[in-house]
Amino acid sequence: MGTLLQVKDLRTEFHTQDGVVHAVNGVTFHVDEGETLGLVGESGCGKSVSVLSVMRLIPQPPGKIPAGEVMFQGRDLLKVDDEEIRSVRGNKIAMVFQDPMTSLNPVLTINTQISESLELHLGMTKEQARKRAIELLKMVGIPEAEGRIDDYPHQFSGGMRQRVMIAMALSCSPQLLIADEPTTALDVTIQAQIIDIVKRLKRELGMAIIWITHDLGIIAGLADRINVMYAGFVIESASNKEIFANPLHPYTLGLLGSIPRLDAALKSKLTPIEGLPPDLIEMPKGCPFYDRCRHRTEKCANENPPLDLGAVRHWVACWNWQDVQKARSKQ
Amino acid sequence: MADTAQDQSLVQVKGLKKYFPITQGIIFQRKVADVKAVDGLDFEIRKGETLGLVGESGCGKSTTGRAILQLYRPSAGDVFFKGKDLVKLQGEELRKMRRHMQMIFQDPYASLNPRMTVGDIIGEPLEVHNIAKGKEKKERVQELLQIVGLNPYFVNRYPHEFSGGQRQRIGVARALAVNPDFIVCDEPISALDVSIQAQIINLLEELQEKFHLTYLFIAHDLSVVRHISDRVAVMYLGKIVELTDRNALYKSPLHPYTKALMSAVPIPDPVIEEKRERIILVGDVPSPVRPPSGCHFHTRCPIVMDVCKKDDPAFRDVGGDHWVACHAV
Amino acid sequence: MATLAASLPTQTRARSPQMWLLRRILTNPPAALGALVILLMLFAAIFAPLIAPYPYDQQNLDYIEKGPSAAHWFGTDGLGRDMFSRIVWGARSAVFVIVMVTAVSLALGVPLGAIAGYFGGWADTIIMRAADILFAFPGMLFVFFIAATIKPGIINWAREIGLSDLARTGYLDYAVVIIALGVIGWAGLARMIRAQVMTIKEREFVIGARATGVPAWRVILRHILPNAITPIIVAMSMGLGDIALSEGYLSFLGIGLQPPAPSWGNIIAENAGRYWRRFPEMIWLVFIPGLVLAAIVFAFNFFGDGLNEALNPEIVD
Repeated sequence: MGTLLQVKDLRTEFHTQDGVVHAVNGVTFHVDEGETLGLVGESGCGKSVSVLSVMRLIPQPPGKIPAGEVMFQGRDLLKVDDEEIRSVRGNKIAMVFQDPMTSLNPVLTINTQISESLELHLGMTKEQARKRAIELLKMVGIPEAEGRIDDYPHQFSGGMRQRVMIAMALSCSPQLLIADEPTTALDVTIQAQIIDIVKRLKRELGMAIIWITHDLGIIAGLADRINVMYAGFVIESASNKEIFANPLHPYTLGLLGSIPRLDAALKSKLTPIEGLPPDLIEMPKGCPFYDRCRHRTEKCANENPPLDLGAVRHWVACWNWQDVQKARSKQ
Repeated sequence: MADTAQDQSLVQVKGLKKYFPITQGIIFQRKVADVKAVDGLDFEIRKGETLGLVGESGCGKSTTGRAILQLYRPSAGDVFFKGKDLVKLQGEELRKMRRHMQMIFQDPYASLNPRMTVGDIIGEPLEVHNIAKGKEKKERVQELLQIVGLNPYFVNRYPHEFSGGQRQRIGVARALAVNPDFIVCDEPISALDVSIQAQIINLLEELQEKFHLTYLFIAHDLSVVRHISDRVAVMYLGKIVELTDRNALYKSPLHPYTKALMSAVPIPDPVIEEKRERIILVGDVPSPVRPPSGCHFHTRCPIVMDVCKKDDPAFRDVGGDHWVACHAV
Repeated sequence: MATLAASLPTQTRARSPQMWLLRRILTNPPAALGALVILLMLFAAIFAPLIAPYPYDQQNLDYIEKGPSAAHWFGTDGLGRDMFSRIVWGARSAVFVIVMVTAVSLALGVPLGAIAGYFGGWADTIIMRAADILFAFPGMLFVFFIAATIKPGIINWAREIGLSDLARTGYLDYAVVIIALGVIGWAGLARMIRAQVMTIKEREFVIGARATGVPAWRVILRHILPNAITPIIVAMSMGLGDIALSEGYLSFLGIGLQPPAPSWGNIIAENAGRYWRRFPEMIWLVFIPGLVLAAIVFAFNFFGDGLNEALNPEIVD
C-alpha cells in the first residue's frame, strides 16, 4: 500500500499573552492508503492541533506553523495556495468533529448542508445532489432518510447528528477521513452504533482514517496502527496489537495501568501516573515525561529522546525503553 | 429487601420519584407535562459498600443522587437514612443531617466557588456545623488538604490556580471535612484526563477504607463503576433495571439492556476486541417526558415480547441478591 | 497517602485581577476619558469649598450678567453669583444624589432580587409584580406625585413638630429626590439580580454548598451574590449618569433641589427662565451647566461600556 499522507517535523505554536504555547513540537507520521491510524493522548497533547494544522485550519494568528511538511498526493499542503487547500478540504480529506451540534448550521436543512459540498466540489445539480444526499443518509443508517432530509439539525438526536456529520464528510468520497473524538460526546450504546457504521463504511469505501481519541478502548477495536502523543510529541508508534501487547514507553504503560477494564477479574488497584503534564509554554529541556517517569535517568533530564529507538517496526521516544520492557516482563 | 438486612443498610430508598414539571405561560403557569427523571426506585445502600449507579445520559442517575440528598425534593417516595425519613425533614433538621451525608461533583471547574479561597471552601462546612472555628479550623483544613494529597500550604489560593485533578481533590476534602458516613459521588472523574482519573479513583478507595465511608458512585462508564463498586445498579429511563454484585453483573448479566451496555463498552485490548460480539441497540433513548408503555426498554429491546409493551416488569430478586426488572428473566 | 506529585503547585500565571482590569480600561480611549471626567467630578465634589473661588450663593450686585473672565471663568448670573463656583458646588449635589440614590436602590433591590431569585414561588411573584408595576408606571410621574402631594405634607409635619429649620434648609428637597429616585431604581436592579441569582443557584458550587449544609442566607451572601456582581456593576455604572440626569430634570422642573442650593438642573432652569426672551444673550449661563451634565452622562456610559468589555473578554477577543 502506498503512503497517502506524510507529515514531517510539523510544529505548531500559539502566541498568547502568557507566552508561546508549544502545542506540536516536531511531529512525524504517515497514513497509508486504506489504513486506520489512531492518534491517542490526553487533552493538550497536541493530537487535535496536529491534524488541524495538516488541514490548515489553525487560526493564524494566534496560531503559527513555523516548520513542517505535509505531503499529500505529491504536494505540500502547508505551501499550496488557499484555493488549492479548499479543494482538498472536504473533498479529498474530510473531517468529523467531537460536537455534532456546533458543526452543523442550525438554520439550514440537512439537505442544504450536504448538497452544498456536492454542488461545490463535484458540480452536481440540485436534483442530483439531493438524490446523493438521501443515499448518503441511508448509508449511515438514518431511518426514513427521504422523509428526514428536509429536517433541521435540532430535530435529530446527538447520535443521529453525528451520523449526518459522517454522511457529509463522506459526500465527496474522500481518500482520508479525520475523525476528531467523534464519539466522546455520545453515550456508549450510541458510540457502539457509530463505530460500527464507520467500520462498515471503511470496508465498503476503502478510505484511510485518522481517528483521534483519548480512549484506549475505542482505538483497540478500530486502528491498524497507533501513535501515542504526549506534550506535543509522538512518543510511541507501532501496530495496534504491538502497542497493547508490548508497550515500550513508560507513559503508554502508565495509561494502560490507569484505566479500569471491564474484564478485570479482581478488584485490583489502579496504578495512576502521578503528577501533571508539563507546561507547554516552558517546555522542559529533556524528555517531556521526565517529571512523572519511574524509569528516568540523568540523560532524560538533559536530552529529549527522538522517536527512532525501540524494536522492529516499533518506534519509541525513550532512552530507557529496554528497562521498561524488562520491568514489565517481571510483573 | 430492607427487612432482611436492616442492621447493615445505611440508606433505604423506597418508591422514589422525581418529576420535573414542564410549564407553559408566563403569569398563569400551567403544567403541560412532566419530565419523569426518576420513576419509582427501590433499593438500599449498605454500610461501608460502594453502590455503583450506571446509565446513559438522561437516565436519571444524577437526579437520583440529588433526590436522595434532598437537593431536589422527591415527588414521591421515601429515603431513610440513619433511621430518619429525609423526605419528611424540613429546614434546620434537614440541614443538620447534611453533616452525615455529602456530595462530590463531576465538574471540578464548576463545583468550587471561584471567589473563595481553598481554605474558606474546605473550612465552610466546619463553620456552618459548628465543628471548628479560628485556629482549630485552620489546622483541620490543613490536615484535610494533606489527607487528599495536596500541600497544606495551599489554603490561601483560589480554585483557578489548580489543575482539574487538584480541584477534584479540593472537592473531596470539602466533602470529608464534616466526617460524613455517606458520600454521593456524582461522576467524579468523567471530566478528568485518563491519567488523572486513576489518581482520584485510588484516592476515593483509600479514603473509604480509612474513614469507613459508604459511597453511591454515579457514572456513565461501566468499567469505572465496576472497578470501584461492590454492587452495581443499572438505570434506564428513570428506572433501575438490574442490581447485583459487580462480578455477577459482569459474568451473568440478566437484563437485555445490561447485556447491550456491557458489550458496547470497549476493552483496551485489540485481541479481545476482535473476537467480541457486540449487541448494537437500534435507535435512541426515548424521551422521559413520554416514556414507552410497559417496560421502558421495549422500544429498543432485542428480545421484546408482547407483554413488555403492556406491563411494567416488577423489580425482583431472582436469587442470590440479583435484582432485575425483565419479563424474559 | 499523600501522593507526591499532586502536591506540586501548578504553573499558572495568575496576575492580580484588579491590575489587569485597570489596564484594560485605561487602554480603551473612550473608557479612559470617561474615567477622567468622573474623577474630575468626584474631585470637584469633594474639594468644592477649596476649588470654588467664591461661596456659591454670594451675590455681587455690582457685577451681574458678565461673560467669562479671569475673575469669573464661567461668568456671573443675574444675581451676580459666580457661575464657576455654582457649577463646582453643583458637582457636590450631583455626587451626593448619585451616591444616595444608588445606596437606596441597592438596599432595596439586592435583597428583594436575591429573595425572589433564590426562593422563587410566592416571594418571587409578589416582588416581581411590584417591580412590573413600577416599570409600567412612568417613573418621573411617580416622582412628581411624591413631590406634589407627599412633600408638602412632610414639610407641614416638620413645622408642626418644631423642625421648621429643617423644612427651610433644603435637606428635605434632597431626601425627596433621593427617596423618589431610589424607589424607582430598585426595580430594575432587582430584576437583574434575580436573573443572575436564578442562573448561579443552579451552578454546581452552589448545590455543593447546599449539600454541605450551608444555610440559605449564607448561600446567597457568600456563594451567589459575589458571583453575580460583575454584570450588576456594569449596568449600575451606566445607570449612574441617568441618576445625575434625573436629578437634573427634577430640579429643572422645580421639584428637585431648590435654589439657592446649587444643582446643575436648577441652574439651567433659573437662567433659562430668566433669559429665554433675550436668547442668544447670556447663553453660557444655560449652555455651560448643560454641557457639564451631558459630559457626565456620556462619561458614565463610556466608562460602563469599557468596564463591560474589560470584564467580558469574549466580546473583544
